[in-house]
Amino acid sequence: MAALIFQELLPFLFILGISPLLVGLINKQKALLSGRRGAPIRQPYYDLFRLSRKETIYASTASFISRLAPVVSFSAILVAGFMLPIGYMRPLLSFSGDIIVFAYLLGLARFFQILGAMDIGSSFEGMGAAREAAFAVFAEPIYFFTIGSLAFVSGYTSLYEVYLSIHLDNPSSLVFIIVSSISAFFLMVTECSRMPIDDPSTHLELTMIHEVMILDNSGIDLFLYQYSSYIKIMIYGIFEVLFFNPFSLQNQWLGFFLFVMLLLLLTTVVAWVETMTARLKIKSIPQYLLFATAIGILNLLIYTFVR
Amino acid sequence: MIQYLFLIGCILLLIGAIAALLIRPVKQALFFVVVINVLALVVNLIFALMRLIALPAVTDLFPVFPDNASLFRADGLALFFLLVITAVAVPTIISAYTYLQHYLHKEASVRSFLTSFSLLLLSTQVVVFVNHSILFLVFWELMTLTAYLGMLLEKEKEEVQKGSFVYFATMHMATFILYIFFFLLHDHFGSWLFSDYHLSLTTGTIFYLVCGFGFLGFGIKAGFMPMHFWLPWAHPIAPAPLSAFLSGVIIKTGIYGIFRVIEFCSPLPVWMGIAILVLSVFSAIFGVWYALAQHDIKKLLAYHSIENIGIIGIGIGLGVLGVTYSVQSLVWLGFGGALFHIFNHAIFKTLLFLGSGVICNNCHTRDIEKMGGIVHHASWFVALFLIGSIAISGIPPLNGFMSEFLIYKGFFNASASLGNYFPLLMLLLAVGLAFVGGLALVCFTKINSIMFLGTERSKLQSFIVSRSEYTALGILASLCILFGIYPQSLLGIISSVITFNHAGIILQPYKMFTHWEFLTVIFACVLLTIVCMILWKKFNTQQRISQAWGCGYTPLTPRMQYTASSYADEINSISSHMLHLEKDVTAPKTLFPQQSHFISHSDDFSEKKFIAPIYRYIINKIDTFELLSRTDIRFYITFMLIMAIIYGGIAIVWPH
Repeated sequence: MAALIFQELLPFLFILGISPLLVGLINKQKALLSGRRGAPIRQPYYDLFRLSRKETIYASTASFISRLAPVVSFSAILVAGFMLPIGYMRPLLSFSGDIIVFAYLLGLARFFQILGAMDIGSSFEGMGAAREAAFAVFAEPIYFFTIGSLAFVSGYTSLYEVYLSIHLDNPSSLVFIIVSSISAFFLMVTECSRMPIDDPSTHLELTMIHEVMILDNSGIDLFLYQYSSYIKIMIYGIFEVLFFNPFSLQNQWLGFFLFVMLLLLLTTVVAWVETMTARLKIKSIPQYLLFATAIGILNLLIYTFVR
Repeated sequence: MIQYLFLIGCILLLIGAIAALLIRPVKQALFFVVVINVLALVVNLIFALMRLIALPAVTDLFPVFPDNASLFRADGLALFFLLVITAVAVPTIISAYTYLQHYLHKEASVRSFLTSFSLLLLSTQVVVFVNHSILFLVFWELMTLTAYLGMLLEKEKEEVQKGSFVYFATMHMATFILYIFFFLLHDHFGSWLFSDYHLSLTTGTIFYLVCGFGFLGFGIKAGFMPMHFWLPWAHPIAPAPLSAFLSGVIIKTGIYGIFRVIEFCSPLPVWMGIAILVLSVFSAIFGVWYALAQHDIKKLLAYHSIENIGIIGIGIGLGVLGVTYSVQSLVWLGFGGALFHIFNHAIFKTLLFLGSGVICNNCHTRDIEKMGGIVHHASWFVALFLIGSIAISGIPPLNGFMSEFLIYKGFFNASASLGNYFPLLMLLLAVGLAFVGGLALVCFTKINSIMFLGTERSKLQSFIVSRSEYTALGILASLCILFGIYPQSLLGIISSVITFNHAGIILQPYKMFTHWEFLTVIFACVLLTIVCMILWKKFNTQQRISQAWGCGYTPLTPRMQYTASSYADEINSISSHMLHLEKDVTAPKTLFPQQSHFISHSDDFSEKKFIAPIYRYIINKIDTFELLSRTDIRFYITFMLIMAIIYGGIAIVWPH
């Protein structure tokens, strides 16, 4: 019984509770790798707490869209998060076809985030929104070439079943999974606005994507945007980690332990990549994303013919 | 009683058409016609719904008009299309009441518009029931002609003359192709009745010919790429209610025709399914991509019709594959997705076109680059338009997502049940559809933000949305929400339509394809979270209004905002060769900038590379026939005699 309750509470714990910690870990390791002491790991929680108590300022040109957008985008991302299996346990919401609903809920979040940015009428936000929209178009196929191809190969259409169907024992499938996970990493980097697509810690508006879209948001709206960006990192982190699923079928708890370890490892990888690479030129981002798509296609071709 | 319902509806529409010419003054005529048309449409809507609900119980075709079962017959497909037509036409005619108020000073034009629109409604509703080739062509032609006459509301404008002529000419080409199509069918089967046509591959060349002509003729009407070129011409110049009806219903009659062609053929070959799929994906991707480059709101929406016709076509292609391989669930998902998307597209596209009519009448321009800040004048209107935009982008929880969801399920189903090379093909198609969704999102965030948000680019005195327009848009928006959150209501009907029209298909309970209640739960979760957050925001924070953050730069002007071109440039510049995107830029160079300008324009690929050369070729060749054009009437009589002799000769020699 206790185990069952734990399973039910786990998504809330991970998606709502631990997601800021993940960002804290990434930032701390980034600081350590570049030779700084860095902010404490708990810093994202402090930030969120501070933002939630601040006054909210709206631009004089803002309409009801600005007031609605952060809320819709947060809610959609949150509910999408509950569709992911955490540690190979059955997620809260799982049914056949949920991989499509998952992708399109994130689309809903993006739609409103873009509208919220354009609502101000400032060209800075417009620039961020245009970039976000354009890169999302190129990121969408990656999702379908990674998790979608797994679904087509396995015949399942719910995220939970698709991930359970992964077996690493067969060499061609191993290659398939590894290459897919690389594509998925590209996807994560794009969707979560991390390096080398976007620099989350830059301070020049012209070079930003995600940060410049929320330039005019403050207080509770900024809180919602920040929180949803933390949740997004958690979602795509889980998304990435679940590709490696060697033990889950024998032992759920061992699988869970491994899942947490892999998530920690992922923070190190992200921090390492962010320290080692420079941000790409905006013009070359589509090429980068098309490259990720291309390896997805190649991978699928290899898998189809080797199998 | 129900036997007479449809007849009553049709008679009411006829009365409306005549009354439009007779009642004086024109304002009264307008009111009377709108009321009587709404009445007629509601009667027909009730007829369609009653028949559709009774569908699983009946085994025979029932007559549409009393005591006449062979010329008109109401099968599932026809009734479903009647449902679509009436559901769209009611809000359209309600909003036309306000739209036409702006043209009351041109009395004759308004009267002619009302008559032709009533006849258009009538012929569109009858055409789906016709079971006789000749009658079908008559009503088809009536539909085309009345739509053309309706387009001439502002006939003194040159662009109207040009655009409506493109529509007229293209439609006649399509009708000509359909003449050949029906001639071939009659020649082969010796009957004019649709119900007698059963083609199979063993009939040889005739099969390919009939399929080719059928798909071409109906495909032009539906606007599949590359036969779509008339849509971006006809939509911008048509009055808003007509362009809504054109996009919501009339291009769907092309889809209706394609359904009929598929019904004539059995068994269906594999290549047909794959050909439809490939053509449709092509239409969907390029339709939305062209839409992204447009600044004219109605032209942009016209390109989105092409995209959505593509999505419907994908559903049909999947259904055809299902019939070929006799996979029942795939038939259901494919045809079901297509039918559901037909309904959904009719709803949200009508909403968007009627909305664009309101915008055009208030801003006196169709160029979205000149708008902006409308949300500060009419926020409810913007909210309604936004609902349509979210629905057309295929984003949950609205109805556009639901039909795309069915089609996605169809891809998965096809790949699981057909095996072989199909998983790879289906994956590519799914990626294509996802790409289309992504581009549609960009396009609709573009038009919503450029038209409505920010500050006004040119001064807007007032933005008036009348009560009738709010009613029309409200009905459509609530349908978008209803079928998004509770699609089960329509899926049952669609299920029985497919069962009725495809003999041998066992009634598939739509419940078996996914847990529909889960979708409702998810959307309820999202909505609940939204409501909680809004309440929390309301009670928990102080708010203040201040100037927008200009990054240290203070004298911001409306002209500094992002425009539609700059917003879409990130994507369009990648594909500028494919889109024939031309930019004429003179950038400021010196310290004291001179006059500078930027103009961008996108040409249609198929029009420029495909239609225009053929047209020019014909125009050049036609000069050689100049000796035939004489002023003397005796020559013409001679020509007619010669033609009559030729036709008579063929008729004698023709093998029978």
